[in-house]
Amino acid sequence: MRSFSYSSPGQIGDASDAARESGAQIIAGGTTMVDLMKIGVIAPDALVDINGLSDLEGYAVAGDRMRFGALAKMSTVADDPAVIDAFPALSESLWKAASPQLRNVATLGGNILQRTRCPYFRDTAYAQCNKRNPGSGCAALEGGETNLHAILGGSSACVAMYPGDFAQALIAFDAEVVVSGAGGERTIPFSQLHVQPGDSPEVETVLEPGEIVTEIVLPVVPAMANSTYLKARDRESYAFASASAAVGVAMDGDTVSDVRIALGGVASVPWRATDAEDSLRGQPLTEETAREAGRIAFETAEELEGSAYKIALGADVVAGALMQVKSRMGGE
Amino acid sequence: MAQTINTRVTRTDARRKVTGAATYAADEIPAGMLHGALACSSIAVGTVTSINTSVAEAEPGVVAVYTHETLPDYKTVKGFYAGGPGSASFWPMEGTEIRYAGQPVAYVVAETAAAARRGADLVEVSYEEGESRIHMTPDDSFVVGAGEDSDGMILDQGDLQAGLDSAAQSVDMTFTTPFQHHNPMEMFAATAEWRGDRLTVWMPSQSVRTLRAGIAGAYGLPETSVRVISSFVGGAFGSKAGITPYTMLTIAAAKGVGAPVRLIVTRPQMYTVATFRPESEQKFRLGADAEGRLTAFEHIETAQTSQFDMVVNAGTHITRAMYACPNIRTEQRLSRSDTNTGGFMRAPNEMQTFWGLESAMDELAWKLEMDPVELRRVNDAREHPTEGVPFSSRSLMESYDAVAQSFGWADRGREVGSMTDGDWLVGYGCATATYPTNILASNARVRMQASGNAYIALAAHDVGTGTYTIMAQVAAARLGVPVEAVDVVMGEASFPVAPISGGSTTAASAGSAVHDGCMKIAQQVATRVSAMSEGPLSGVDPAQVTLDDGTLRGPNGQSQSLAEALSMLPEGEVEVIGEFRHPALTNELVAATFKGGYGTAGPVTPDFAMFAFGAEMAEVHIHRYTHEIRVPRLHGAFAAGTWLNRKTAHSQLLGGMVWGIGSALHEVTETDSARSRFLNANIAEYLIPVNADIREVRVEMLEEQDDYVNPLGVKGIGELGIVGTAAAIGNAVYHATGTRLTSLPIRMSDLVST
Ligand SMILES: Cc1cc2nc3c(=O)[nH]c(=O)nc-3n(C[C@H](O)[C@H](O)[C@H](O)COP(=O)(O)OP(=O)(O)OC[C@H]3O[C@@H](n4cnc5c(N)ncnc54)[C@H](O)[C@@H]3O)c2cc1C
Ligand code: SF4
Repeated sequence: MRSFSYSSPGQIGDASDAARESGAQIIAGGTTMVDLMKIGVIAPDALVDINGLSDLEGYAVAGDRMRFGALAKMSTVADDPAVIDAFPALSESLWKAASPQLRNVATLGGNILQRTRCPYFRDTAYAQCNKRNPGSGCAALEGGETNLHAILGGSSACVAMYPGDFAQALIAFDAEVVVSGAGGERTIPFSQLHVQPGDSPEVETVLEPGEIVTEIVLPVVPAMANSTYLKARDRESYAFASASAAVGVAMDGDTVSDVRIALGGVASVPWRATDAEDSLRGQPLTEETAREAGRIAFETAEELEGSAYKIALGADVVAGALMQVKSRMGGE
Repeated sequence: MAQTINTRVTRTDARRKVTGAATYAADEIPAGMLHGALACSSIAVGTVTSINTSVAEAEPGVVAVYTHETLPDYKTVKGFYAGGPGSASFWPMEGTEIRYAGQPVAYVVAETAAAARRGADLVEVSYEEGESRIHMTPDDSFVVGAGEDSDGMILDQGDLQAGLDSAAQSVDMTFTTPFQHHNPMEMFAATAEWRGDRLTVWMPSQSVRTLRAGIAGAYGLPETSVRVISSFVGGAFGSKAGITPYTMLTIAAAKGVGAPVRLIVTRPQMYTVATFRPESEQKFRLGADAEGRLTAFEHIETAQTSQFDMVVNAGTHITRAMYACPNIRTEQRLSRSDTNTGGFMRAPNEMQTFWGLESAMDELAWKLEMDPVELRRVNDAREHPTEGVPFSSRSLMESYDAVAQSFGWADRGREVGSMTDGDWLVGYGCATATYPTNILASNARVRMQASGNAYIALAAHDVGTGTYTIMAQVAAARLGVPVEAVDVVMGEASFPVAPISGGSTTAASAGSAVHDGCMKIAQQVATRVSAMSEGPLSGVDPAQVTLDDGTLRGPNGQSQSLAEALSMLPEGEVEVIGEFRHPALTNELVAATFKGGYGTAGPVTPDFAMFAFGAEMAEVHIHRYTHEIRVPRLHGAFAAGTWLNRKTAHSQLLGGMVWGIGSALHEVTETDSARSRFLNANIAEYLIPVNADIREVRVEMLEEQDDYVNPLGVKGIGELGIVGTAAAIGNAVYHATGTRLTSLPIRMSDLVST
């Protein structure tokens, strides 16, 4: 790890100014940042610790908009009975992520900005990685292993997968993020925060240098209460998703009036499956319609050798998540 | 006196371990110590064309940057598979040649560990890259030592083809297992301190005598000038057995800078600078008559090996001992690829071969429409099928019957897919476990004092298994003192010889040496006190005195406690060297062990075949939508002679079974085939079971008496628990889904319908 300077500003303006300096990086819980520094993927000149901005730790789920401060801890929010009750998919997406130790220090703001687990991105011994070293090539696509990669939203320059879970609950329910930077405060739809790799995989978000995420805001809708996050993974806990789905459903009698479907473990960015949602709206929720929605969700998926199985797996997970919500609703 | 053997005794070092008082190798910090770090190659095959060390040298804190051109007085040793003590035959930093990815190319010494690692990152290496291949190709394989000196590498008994032709049912299946790495919790580390021509090395080791002999030989020093210390080892599993380049590099660097140097290898580097479990292919052809009796048994194992060593852990020698069959053919093959040399990893061939054998047996049982337990029963061998000697003891079917009872095997649905639990498909599977009983010569210094305290010293190791406790228990039982009164020191090469901690031999062999020492003390004391004019044993023929739980007993009911008898001696104590020399140990084998080698007899001797046995049963659940595979229940029953310590033995078996779950469902060292590198070289991405994956694991320990294996009647158990687990789980997956999986690990990706 290279030497760096460290500051811990108490005011958001100062933090943003410090973070705008070239070579500076923001650190919150540090579970992504320190990890990448230790393996030499990021070597900042300056770390700007935002944990002094204690205003950003709060959250509120009452009212017609849920608000989550960027420094709220994953575990605090995941375990809150009010969250579990009002928006189970959000709680589940947090507690099914990482490990208790990580969740106790990791923040919601840091979580949505976590970096890919592509092994070539994470190992500087590989010369080729367009994301780490623009223009160098892509070791994954050049004969490499692609079992941790994106079958949706990738490009010929990069097929890195967005690994986070929480983001799927956010994108499914039209979240917005509030950010603060040199130009003051602005609000960005969560679906526009991350950008697909295209020709420049090194650009991952629309954030400007120095911009700090302060808050995540969600409009409350009935489907939130009937939501779930289903995560398929190779071990019971402490594993990234091979495929996952955040879903929520509202019924009007026997037919679906509102449905939300977002996919994890399969795409380059947080991924909303709108076509699959469209197929269900106005339909009854049955095993058949659920499976059809799953199929549609992956209609545009690319055949990527190591991840080919995720097309079928992902479809099954979507169907499973929908059926889980259905049985929970039935049980009420 | 309380019973100290075949009972549950808490580790004597437990408190020291949890309070941090136990010192591991890297905890030793000699005065003036500097820190080492390795820079490793990014290519797998080729040559180093130039190395620029100037940037690294300019880094604050860096003291020296050594390359193949500048490292002074660097010595190497012969590789294990060439008859030496080294982990591999090819040594890095002797020249410009690169033969595996992650090969050390430079060694940085600095004032702090952080500076050393920064320095290592700043070493600039240019290469000319050659063609490489990380995976073996079974099509391009060869038989080990074929021809005159085949040492059973090909065995052909009876008429395999006739056996297959006459079979009512047969199977022909090929299984594979991946590269795996040990990942002990304690990192690889070495600290070297020179004082003139005397050298001290602290290093976690499974064989301090091997280390000392090898290092002394390499530097032309008498063994007495080299100290090797390894008091506690934080897991080894085979990875800390031989002399590795990182040790010899550290010794040379310490000499070069003229100060003690400590190297702690990084986790990713641990994947390339030492050994691993090579990938393998297991081909089986089995035939059986309508009653299930085997008519044909063929096993061809092909294991990966490096370009410069032949790693032979002959799995066919174990599989062919399992089941009675007149027509047996086995073949032991190797295939080379561009990696460092692999080696032993817990059950070094049995994990792989029993995955294949026990899956094939299960398939055969389904074809015969037979209970798989009954298939094992009708083929249970009383005599070694190819060696013609009886088993010294064999409790395979006792194990099956016990585990079937505890597991509820009889309740299983008889059809594939016949059991469910909500959204989960349910399956049951079973498999045989075994591990050969190996015998090695061992000594132990045993001292007893009139106070009732005893002291034991031997060059054995506690790799986390509880050896300190077991040695104390054996002495306590014989000498009639509490376990706490026995002080045990180990892990130093200057202590009396003890075997390498490998092949599940320590408890049996070193324990037998402690036992012998206690008996010798009794004899000496009896001789002395019987010659005295007074005392309860005065005048008794010492040859007729026996030792019974610390009491000396004469032929006519005379008795005296050992401690009391000792108090009659002016010294107040007696010290002896206990020895274990099993009749099957030839002079050559004893000599090999004393020279730091692996002089093992068994599992087949001229008189008996010696194996521990067990049986495991798994319940597997597979989710209808996510295809996740979980193991809510795993039961095992085992028989392995005398249980010295029911608590630590239970832990060994339980730990083996937990690892077995990992080997079935999680563990694989992923590879980048294009650049011949291991890909997931860290324990975030190298999956092993987490706590939540382990639900009910039940271990049953059966009684078994075996008077042949050693005076304690002990068989090794360190590796037994992992054998067969993967097959039990795979067989349960088949029962649940009808899908027969042949490659480890089994992942949900294998069960998704495409
Ligand atoms: C072994 C391991 C397993 C994991 N498993 C999972 C998993 O299964 N599922 C999952 O979803 N996640 C998983 N994670 C990722 C983990 O959830 C994230 O590392 C964590 O949420 C990041 O939060 P943090 O506060 O520690 O962020 P940091 O590490 O502090 O920051 C992460 C990134 O966000 C930036 N940043 C942080 N806060 C802000 C802000 N307010 N404004 C602007 N930029 C900001 C930082 O500059 C940095 O680039 C795992 C991580 C590890 C190490
Ligand atoms: S997929 Fe993206 S992150 Fe991975 S190697 Fe290719 S460019 Fe780098």
